[in-house]
Amino acid sequence: MELLCLGLNHRTAPVEVRERFAVGPAKLGETAAGLLALTGVAEAVVVSTCNRTEFYLAAPAANEAFDLLELHLAEMTGLHDSAAPHFYRIGKFEAARHLCRVVSGLDSMMLGETEIFGQVKQAYQAALGAGSTASVLNRVFQRAFGIGKKIRTETSIQEGATSVGSVAVDLAEKIFGHLKDSEVMILGAGEMSRVTAQSLVSRGARSIFVSNRSFDRAEELAAGMGGRAVRFDEWQGVLERVDIVISSTGAPHAIIQRGEVEKVRRARKFRPLFFIDIAVPRDIDPTVGEIEEVYLYDIDTLEQLADEARERRQQQIAECESIIAAELAKLNLPGV
Amino acid sequence: MDRWLLVAATLLAVVGGAWGMISVHHGRRSSWTVAWMIAVLLCQIAFLALRGEQRAACPLTDRGEILAFLSWSLTLFYLLVGPAYRISLLGVFTAPVVVVFQSFALLPGVLEADPGKVAGGNPWHETHSATSVLAYGALALAAVAGVMFLVLDRQLKEHHLQSGLFHNLPPVRELLVSLVRLLWLGGGLLTIGIIAGFAMPHDQSALGHLLAALAVWAGYALLLGVKTVRGITGRRLSLLTVALFILSLGVFAFV
Repeated sequence: MELLCLGLNHRTAPVEVRERFAVGPAKLGETAAGLLALTGVAEAVVVSTCNRTEFYLAAPAANEAFDLLELHLAEMTGLHDSAAPHFYRIGKFEAARHLCRVVSGLDSMMLGETEIFGQVKQAYQAALGAGSTASVLNRVFQRAFGIGKKIRTETSIQEGATSVGSVAVDLAEKIFGHLKDSEVMILGAGEMSRVTAQSLVSRGARSIFVSNRSFDRAEELAAGMGGRAVRFDEWQGVLERVDIVISSTGAPHAIIQRGEVEKVRRARKFRPLFFIDIAVPRDIDPTVGEIEEVYLYDIDTLEQLADEARERRQQQIAECESIIAAELAKLNLPGV
Repeated sequence: MDRWLLVAATLLAVVGGAWGMISVHHGRRSSWTVAWMIAVLLCQIAFLALRGEQRAACPLTDRGEILAFLSWSLTLFYLLVGPAYRISLLGVFTAPVVVVFQSFALLPGVLEADPGKVAGGNPWHETHSATSVLAYGALALAAVAGVMFLVLDRQLKEHHLQSGLFHNLPPVRELLVSLVRLLWLGGGLLTIGIIAGFAMPHDQSALGHLLAALAVWAGYALLLGVKTVRGITGRRLSLLTVALFILSLGVFAFV
C-alpha cells in the first residue's frame, strides 16, 4: 500500500481552476468516500481550502491510482486536458512530508498561517466519519498533526503579525488587553481601514464610529459593521470617548492636529489613545505622538513591523523542515 | 536558624528572578516564577514565625524585621495579584526588590542576633506596625507595576516591539488597572495603620515617625484623588507611584 497525494494549489493553478476543484466543508467526507469507488483506492482524505485542493490516497499501485483519480476529477469538473498541467503528484515519503508542511503552514500563501491546521483536521475528521480512512491515512494524518503542533510550540513560524491590519490589531491588544471595553473611530471609509476595523470588531471591540466626507459612504460602511456614522465635521466630539482611531482619508494634509487631541485630553481623563494612520499623505500630525498617553503608528511603521515578522518566519523555515525530517525519520509510517 | 531562613528566601528570590529574566530574554514566560516566589514566601513565613516566637509579639521591632516583613508583604501581594490579573511577569520585577530589601536586612547589625521579648505589647501598636508594613507591601508592588508600565510605554512609544520583554509584558490598561487597585489597597491599609499609630501610646520621639507617615499618606491620598477626579496619564501616575514609594521608605528612618 502506498501513500500518495494529488493536488493543486495557489502556486500551480489560478483561482479560476482552483474554484472548479473546490469541495465545500459539508461535502469533504462524502467526496472522500466517493473516491473509494475508484479501482485500487483503499483510503482517501480530501483537503480543500481557498488556496488548495488535495487528495490523499492509500493505494497498492500509485501510478494507476494517480491516473484514475485525474480522470475522475476531469470528468467531475468537465476540465479534461486543461487541468492536468496544474496538478502535482507526490508519493510515499514526499507525500507525508508535504502533508506535514501543509499542516504547519509552510506551504501556505501566508507563511506560517494557523488556519490551515484546523482545515486539514476538519477534512480528516470528515473522511474518518465517512469511513474512508484506515491504517495508512490514520497514522499519517495523526503524526502530521503531532508534528504540526511540535512546530508551532518549538519554533516561531506562526509568531508575529504579518499584515498591516493584524499588526494594528495586535498593538491594540497590547495597549488595551481585551478589546471588549474599547471603542473605535474610523476616519475615511477606505478599504484598508474597513478591514482593520473589522478585525478589531472580530476581536471584540465594543463599538465603531465611522466618519467620512461623504456621509452616505460613512453610513454604508457603519451599517456593514454594526457601527454608527458620524458627520465629518463632528468627529472631534467622538474623540472624547473612543480608544482607537484608524485614519485613512485622501486628504492632502494632516486632518488631526495636536491641538485637537490636546483639547479632549482632560475630558478623556488622560486615558491611553491609539492612533493608526494608514493614509498617504499622513492624516495625523506626527507631533500628536508626543502627547504622553498617545500611541501613534503610521503606515510605514506598521509595514516595517509586518516585514520584520515575515522575515523572522522565513528564517524559521529551515528549522521547521529539519523538525519534519527528524520526526518522520523516527517513525515507521505505513505507505511511505 | 532564623537568619538562614532569610538567606534561603533571598537566594530563592535571586534564582526565581534570574530564571524569569532568562525566560523573558528568550521570549518565553516562565510559569516557574510563581513557584519560586511561593518558595520565597514559605521561607519568609518561617523566618517571621521564628522571630515572632522569640519576640512574643509581631516581629517588627528592628529594621531587619521590618524589611523582612515588608518583603513578605510584597511577595504575598504579588502572589495574590499577579496570577489573578494574569501578570505573572510581575514576579520577575518583584524578585529583585525582595532581594534588595532582604539583603539590607541581612547586613551586619540590621537584624538583632538575639531578639528579646517585647515588653508591654499593645494591640494598637501591633496593628499599627502590621497594617503599615502590609500597606508598604501593596505600595511597593504598585511601584513595581509602575516600572513595568514605564518600560512598556517606552517600547510602544519608540516602536521597539521585538524584545522578549515586550511580548511578555501585560497590556497597558491591565497594568494601570492593577496599579490603581494596589494603590487603593495600600492606601486603605496605611490609613488603618496611621489611625492605630495615633491611638497607640506614644512619646515625643515617635511623633516624627507618625508625622512622616502622615505625609506619606497625604501624598498617596492626593495621587489617588487626582487620578479619580481629574485623571492623570499612565506615565505620570507610574512615575509618581515609584517616586512616592522611594520617598516613603524615609519613614523607617524615624523607627
